[in-house]
Amino acid sequence: MSSYAFRTLLSALTALTFTAANADSITVTDVAGRQVSLDAPAERVILGEGRQIYLLGLLEPETPFTHVVGWREDFSQADPDNYARYLERFPDIEAIPTFGGFKDGTFDVEQAAALNPDVILMNIEAKAATEDAAYDDKLAELDIPIVYVDFREAPIAHTIPSMRIIGQLMGDEAAAEEFIAFAEEQMARVTDVIEDANPERPSVFIDRAGGYSDECCMSFGPGNFGEYVTLAGGSNIAEGIIPNSFGNLNPEQIIAANPEHVVVTGGNWGAYVPGGAWVGVGPGANMDHAREKLEALTERTAMTGIEAVDTGNFHAIWHQFYNSPYYFVAVQQLTKWLHPKLFVDLDPEATMRELHDRFLPIDYAPGYWISLNDD
Amino acid sequence: MTTDSTAMNSVSHGRAFYRTQVFRRQMILAALVIALFLSLCIDLALGPARYSLGEVVAALFTPEAVSQQARVILWEIRMPVALMALVVGASLSVAGAQMQTILSNPLASPFTLGISAGASFGAALGLAFGVAIIPAAIEYVVPINAFLMAMVTAFLIHALSLKRGVTVETIVLLGIAMVFIFNSLMALIQFFASQQAVAAVVFWTMGSLTKATWPKFWIALGVLAAVMPLLARHGWALTAMRLGDAKAESMGVNPRALRLEVLVLVSLLAAIAVAFVGTIGFIGLVGPHIARILLGEDQRFFLPGSALCGALILSVGSVISKIIIPGTIIPIGIITSLVGIPFFLFLVLNHKKASW
Repeated sequence: MSSYAFRTLLSALTALTFTAANADSITVTDVAGRQVSLDAPAERVILGEGRQIYLLGLLEPETPFTHVVGWREDFSQADPDNYARYLERFPDIEAIPTFGGFKDGTFDVEQAAALNPDVILMNIEAKAATEDAAYDDKLAELDIPIVYVDFREAPIAHTIPSMRIIGQLMGDEAAAEEFIAFAEEQMARVTDVIEDANPERPSVFIDRAGGYSDECCMSFGPGNFGEYVTLAGGSNIAEGIIPNSFGNLNPEQIIAANPEHVVVTGGNWGAYVPGGAWVGVGPGANMDHAREKLEALTERTAMTGIEAVDTGNFHAIWHQFYNSPYYFVAVQQLTKWLHPKLFVDLDPEATMRELHDRFLPIDYAPGYWISLNDD
Repeated sequence: MTTDSTAMNSVSHGRAFYRTQVFRRQMILAALVIALFLSLCIDLALGPARYSLGEVVAALFTPEAVSQQARVILWEIRMPVALMALVVGASLSVAGAQMQTILSNPLASPFTLGISAGASFGAALGLAFGVAIIPAAIEYVVPINAFLMAMVTAFLIHALSLKRGVTVETIVLLGIAMVFIFNSLMALIQFFASQQAVAAVVFWTMGSLTKATWPKFWIALGVLAAVMPLLARHGWALTAMRLGDAKAESMGVNPRALRLEVLVLVSLLAAIAVAFVGTIGFIGLVGPHIARILLGEDQRFFLPGSALCGALILSVGSVISKIIIPGTIIPIGIITSLVGIPFFLFLVLNHKKASW
């Protein structure tokens, strides 16, 4: 019997023995506004999105996977660099059963039931599909509640409530509050200064996954990275054009708007577009390589003659900040680029390091961003 | 002597009728050319960077005299898109027209025969998994994949059609089978691909002219320019084909050989178009029908008419896709149907005699 299976069995047994004694019935309000009653702390959890481990890892950095009995396989695909780091520290995670997504209808409700979870954490964008297939009713009959969390659709508004909910579920309220305090404090370091100084807002083009395809140009509307830019004291050129979080800009619009800054989001997409023009920033990235890729992106037609290329205010940042509870680090780095004089003392790298040292299971490795203005 | 003069009369009457008919059709072709030219001008003049008409004209004729930005916007962004719209529209429409002719089926188009679906599948392989069927520069992986799969589909259909007892109807059915096979394979790819890649595949299948670049335009134009004379050469034979294989054969046409040659040519046209701009569905079906309603079945008018109608629909679509939400471009595949269908319905419902 593999050590993982053995541990699962053991934890299942402990769960059976102790749940009744230890668990209290609690009621949480999830980010979808639903009231969910369940026994806490939950011992057996299914992650409806693998990247929810970012949240769980903050609460239980030594043993983030102890309570995870199944998860969606997106983590290893979408964020391979971090997955490798988690895998190195927790080799057992390869044995955790994986699921398809709720959203694309590949979630196997029978498999979920067989794993006998106390709760299933689901991302909010899967809600419609889940209810459509009546998974929630079927699971409710088995006394398996679904709790919706979110750190992608509205990361700024929903990450902290999601943290709090998971804290309640896992009986880690103190750890959750500690992280929330840290996140709010780090955000305030940016928003307070921007509010006080009310500086002129430089125009920013966010080049979503720039170089991923030869299509130009994917960007963010008012949500997600668009909101990060606004909070960081910039003005998103796609605001008012792209109605929702995600959309495409006419390449000509970029030349016409003449942005002062371009922020390319990047990541290690070698699995999807080998040798593509994307900028592979992320933990432990090769910065020389990233810089070459970033320089190449300034040569695109849509970048002709814009101010950001002339001044070198042409940056790349880790794409997964759009879908992780570390959004405040992205906001800090953005504001540092947009208003260097206002934020001389702000060191986003130190924030990221502190985040890893204090909260995360893995060690910090630099490489999350780069600018053509860096020396 | 009276019978002779009546005969003379009816002959000259027929000749006069024929002459007016030809004249009318020439005028319609001329009107289409003018409409196309106007649409092209509007397409070049419109965009989020608001240049005055004077600046646009200056950038067109004296590009070295205007700012670098105006030059790039006009020559690198607007021009390839506007011209690509013409070439792709014409290619798809001609492909559809000749498929309808050789298969004697009003529903035939690059879509119905699975050629577009095959191309989409090839493109999706490249977009989702980075699979290159033959190694090439990264920016051409997707179009080359699309092209190869489209040609594979066409030859598969052709190979099957050479079997004994295969009729024109069977070919259409084979095409529809192809469509379903490739759609399933596409769904399978999307199922396994990342979210980011699925978005790229979906965007690709909607069809978008923003993929256009000068080299792609020249290739597409080159293929169109090479194929058109080859099709025109068979003009009379193709016109005869519409009377049915038996009658065509009695006029000295070899339907099987002609069908094969035309199938290869139009597959090439459709494959190139789909490979470069994604799937734009509606033109290959409706462009030829509009041309047929306006100009009739005679290939001398029907062939150029189809090309012009297709080009016009796509060019107008390109203009509209830019102005619905200024600053963004709605994928052209969505627009063409919305624009073309009302016009098409108007023609179909107002047309007195059955055109098919």
